[in-house]
Amino acid sequence: MSMNCTYFTLLIAVAILLQITGLSLFVFGFFPIRPALIGVSGPESFRPPSCEDQNHTALHPHQLKLLYQKLSEIPPSYDRLILMVIDGLPAEFVLGRDDLKDAMPYTQSLLASKMALSYHAKAAPPTVTLPRLKAITTGSIGGFLDVLFNFNTQALLEDNIIGQFFRIGWKMVMLGDETWLKLFPGLFTRHDGVSSFFVTDTVQVDHNVSRHLSYELYKNDWNLLILHYLGLDHVGHLGGRSSVMMGPKLQEMDEIIKMIHLSTIRSLESAHQRTLLVVVSDHGMQENGNHGGSSYEETDSLALFIGPGISHVSTTYDTISQVDITPTLALLFGVPIPKNNAGYLIADLFHTMEDHQLLRAMELNSWQLLRLLQAQATDSTCESLEDPYSSLYLDAAALHGSWKSKNVLRSASSDDLKNTVLAYNEFLRTASDQLTHRATAKPIGLLASGVMTLLLSCVMFLGLLFKLGQEIYPNLLTHKFQLSEALVGVIIVIIVLSMGSSSLVEEEQYLWHFMTSTFFLVLLHKTIKSTTGNCSCQLFLIAVILVSGRILKGWHQGGVNWTHLPDIAKSLESSRSPYINFLQIISILLVISLCLYTLSSLWSRGNIVILIGLSYLCTGLLVLQYVLKYQGNGAGTSNNDAVLAVQVIYGFIITSVTVTIIASPWFMSLQSKDLVLVIKDCLYLSGTTYMFGWCLLQLLLQQPVNSMVMSLLLVQIIATIYYASRDGSDVKQWVEIAAIYYLGMAGHFSLGNTNTLATIDVAGAFIGISSHSTVRSGVLMFVITYASPMLALLSMVMSISVKENNTILKIHEVKMGQLLKIILGFPCLVPLGLNSVLLVAYTIILLVMRNHLFIWTVFSPKYIYVVVTTVCVLVGVFIVASTVTYIISTAVFLRKKRLR
Amino acid sequence: MLFQIPATSDIDKVDADMKNNKKKVLSPSKVVVLHLICGIGLASSFWLAINVYSINLIENPVETLRLVWLIQVPVVILIYSFFQKDKNQSSYLKAVARGLLGLPVGAVVNALGAIVLGAPVGTRYFQRTLNWSLVMSAFTFVPAASVYGSSWVDWHRIFALTKPNGFIDYMICIPAYGAVIGAWFGAWPMPLDWERMWQEWPICVTYGAIIGYLVGMLASFSFAVHHVSSQHVKGD
Repeated sequence: MSMNCTYFTLLIAVAILLQITGLSLFVFGFFPIRPALIGVSGPESFRPPSCEDQNHTALHPHQLKLLYQKLSEIPPSYDRLILMVIDGLPAEFVLGRDDLKDAMPYTQSLLASKMALSYHAKAAPPTVTLPRLKAITTGSIGGFLDVLFNFNTQALLEDNIIGQFFRIGWKMVMLGDETWLKLFPGLFTRHDGVSSFFVTDTVQVDHNVSRHLSYELYKNDWNLLILHYLGLDHVGHLGGRSSVMMGPKLQEMDEIIKMIHLSTIRSLESAHQRTLLVVVSDHGMQENGNHGGSSYEETDSLALFIGPGISHVSTTYDTISQVDITPTLALLFGVPIPKNNAGYLIADLFHTMEDHQLLRAMELNSWQLLRLLQAQATDSTCESLEDPYSSLYLDAAALHGSWKSKNVLRSASSDDLKNTVLAYNEFLRTASDQLTHRATAKPIGLLASGVMTLLLSCVMFLGLLFKLGQEIYPNLLTHKFQLSEALVGVIIVIIVLSMGSSSLVEEEQYLWHFMTSTFFLVLLHKTIKSTTGNCSCQLFLIAVILVSGRILKGWHQGGVNWTHLPDIAKSLESSRSPYINFLQIISILLVISLCLYTLSSLWSRGNIVILIGLSYLCTGLLVLQYVLKYQGNGAGTSNNDAVLAVQVIYGFIITSVTVTIIASPWFMSLQSKDLVLVIKDCLYLSGTTYMFGWCLLQLLLQQPVNSMVMSLLLVQIIATIYYASRDGSDVKQWVEIAAIYYLGMAGHFSLGNTNTLATIDVAGAFIGISSHSTVRSGVLMFVITYASPMLALLSMVMSISVKENNTILKIHEVKMGQLLKIILGFPCLVPLGLNSVLLVAYTIILLVMRNHLFIWTVFSPKYIYVVVTTVCVLVGVFIVASTVTYIISTAVFLRKKRLR
Repeated sequence: MLFQIPATSDIDKVDADMKNNKKKVLSPSKVVVLHLICGIGLASSFWLAINVYSINLIENPVETLRLVWLIQVPVVILIYSFFQKDKNQSSYLKAVARGLLGLPVGAVVNALGAIVLGAPVGTRYFQRTLNWSLVMSAFTFVPAASVYGSSWVDWHRIFALTKPNGFIDYMICIPAYGAVIGAWFGAWPMPLDWERMWQEWPICVTYGAIIGYLVGMLASFSFAVHHVSSQHVKGD
């Protein structure tokens, strides 16, 4: 009946390994990582790719411009560029298939008279402004995980065309969406950014752009003018595609195109100021005006080229990729193509050039794509020419070479030219497909195997949990479930069901608080029901949990939709009152006194306990001193003294925790002869150490407003542990652990966390770090964000020690393996099981929702949180299991040694 | 056969109960009438609100809730006081007074429960929470206070142990539990971003409570009917 301990541990380990494997498979399938090349393209991009691309020396912008012109062998077709971005304009509005076609008469007349070149530009999801602007300027399709990799950096560091223009000394002017200013800080000579925050404003936001337009067109000293109109997107968000405001808005845009065309292009055509007007939209919109997903309506954006020499040849409008705009602009203006570009040039725009220039443009584009492909190839050797695209390139290069030699002899036929162009086109299309496909494709096999592995590990966890339950409670199946026990399962089912709804994912904090409070209300009901035992004390404990839970819920409003509502944190921060500092001191004192109180029951066990108590008192006072000295006066946290003070506190906490854990069995064995007592005392001591060490660390790291939250969480967890350890309560161990886990999850949101990545406390991740280190900052960020679930997990050690567990009394009768299994079974398996249910359910939901509108804005960030929670649970369970194993085995070992 | 044994013992208890207070033997028809009057009271308060005062729960939650409890409380107290348990000093007026006393106590308990579960706190919501908790008190506490008075044993039996015993107990506790559970479910749409007026506290919670209350009354009524029919079968 009962399972061998080794076997049991082995099965858990296998399940954990399966979970990790499945998770990695799924994550790498769902969020493909695209290795982006760092650095910028320089003069070497005009030479064929070779292994030793040397760095070029810094040149004056003017010299660089001349160098580029000499190297590229293509004279720039235009002198100036006007990039007009109309946010959210679907290409159909301009190119037909929509009844709004007549709303832009001037643009239509340009298209009808073949003076403009227009395309459906396919945008890659996520179809929101920032990633689309990045795609247009860098030519690369970013993966979702890019958000994580450059979390703190808003400026676009990748090689991009705006930077290339800046490097050859262009003067640039930006009017419109201030996203541009965040992406390219300091690159614009003049700018007027408007915010896209007020979606209800559809008029002023565009007027603020247009009011400068006549001045800028007259001023005439710039090379690049960026206009970004947000009004149309706002109209869509308010009233959808067929809003009554859409027609007038399109007319307004048409007027602007007309104005630019008439004033600059026509009048300056003769004055060697050839201007290219490019009208693009970053993304389209759905019928109801929303965007973000990958439906045709959202990805169908516009690319419209108006300028001297442009003529449209075909009658239909081709579909290009949005990233094709980048190499086209780079080649037209004679700058190197950005390094990570995955697009290929729009050949129609090069028809006015001479044949050898067209081929040269294609060659340059091919070299750039080939470099990128070589960099991304798994074997980084330069000679990896086995791939299909390499042979395609060699074909095209060979044809190009023969055409060149024939051209010198004037014997090149038009067939030769056509073949070369075709060969280049073939290569460019294949390479570009390969590069873009890699960024957006979802390998179904990988995803399915990942999900299946996760499912298997979840089933294993639940099976082991059930088996363990059967062993510990022999009458598990016949036993009538209590309401509180059933509720543990119901809560998980409700949470899983709710995760399918995007608005409940956004507002998850309500659910956790509501369910946790309900659980404790049910416990309250149960306590009233049982007339035996120390009733009033238990009632008091539950009341404390409920009241602190309510305060915690009110601390941060959280979520996405109701953030504007008042909450405690906002009122504390807005009033600039001394209350924050006051509350911070109160909570530090509360934590210290709670710590000393919990240790006080062990005072009689000798000096080591007093020593530990003193070390915590010291650490607490150090934290207090740090808070008073550095946090009170604002920006003083970055100087050397502050960093040193924090590092001292880190050192104190780490040393005292480690020393306590390692030394406690040895000291306790000296104090007492009773093995059971020794083990219980050691566990109690280590549990206390973990909890208070963690709490003091959090009081140091968390934002000042959150310190009270931390201490209330601690109070809640301690109250739960005490409640469950009372004689009168018949709360089973697995129910208690589930309750603590739920408290930890509810507390996660009380600390102000949400399911968007925006609430991660980036500033806190640099406390006490003297030099920049991604790893250390990452660890600190994890520690700050997962403060509450980790506290819940670490409290398991204490919960084990105070449990009136009969099994621990039978230590002389059972083997150590069996004992460990009984003691550690639930504290390890319950968090693992609950978390794996949530993980599997959410993985499946993510897979089902992969075409949902909010997949990139709501579901994917939530999934990142779910994955990191899994990591947190694994780490926490590992710490608990190893600590308990160490203590028990050392105590038993010392005992045996003494008996011998 | 196995399942009938507890049923008969239950009936025996009911019989014994009925013998104890011979003056007020409770027949199923009385249960029906009682619940009907409570339901009519509730319906008439809403009818009055809409047709006479032209207010409704969504636009004027405070006024409507006030009207509901102002009408419902007297109805409930007057009806339930007929069935008071305290036989020794069976003064009808005393039962009425106990019911009135139960109203604020029940309101405090309900309000505390709601706040713990996340109801908004603050001066803006004070009126709403106050009137809502008075309505909930009329659904849950007031009937029990009228019938049981301050008998801790009875309160403990039906609300803590959930072991109702006889028609009166069922009549009180099933609608009360219905109202509480309904209110709990009624809170579900509140965090959703549908931007409807009725998602505000305490409108949808009130709707949930009323639906739960009505379902509870229906259950209690059908229980009574079922019980009588089984009794008839047994008699035959």
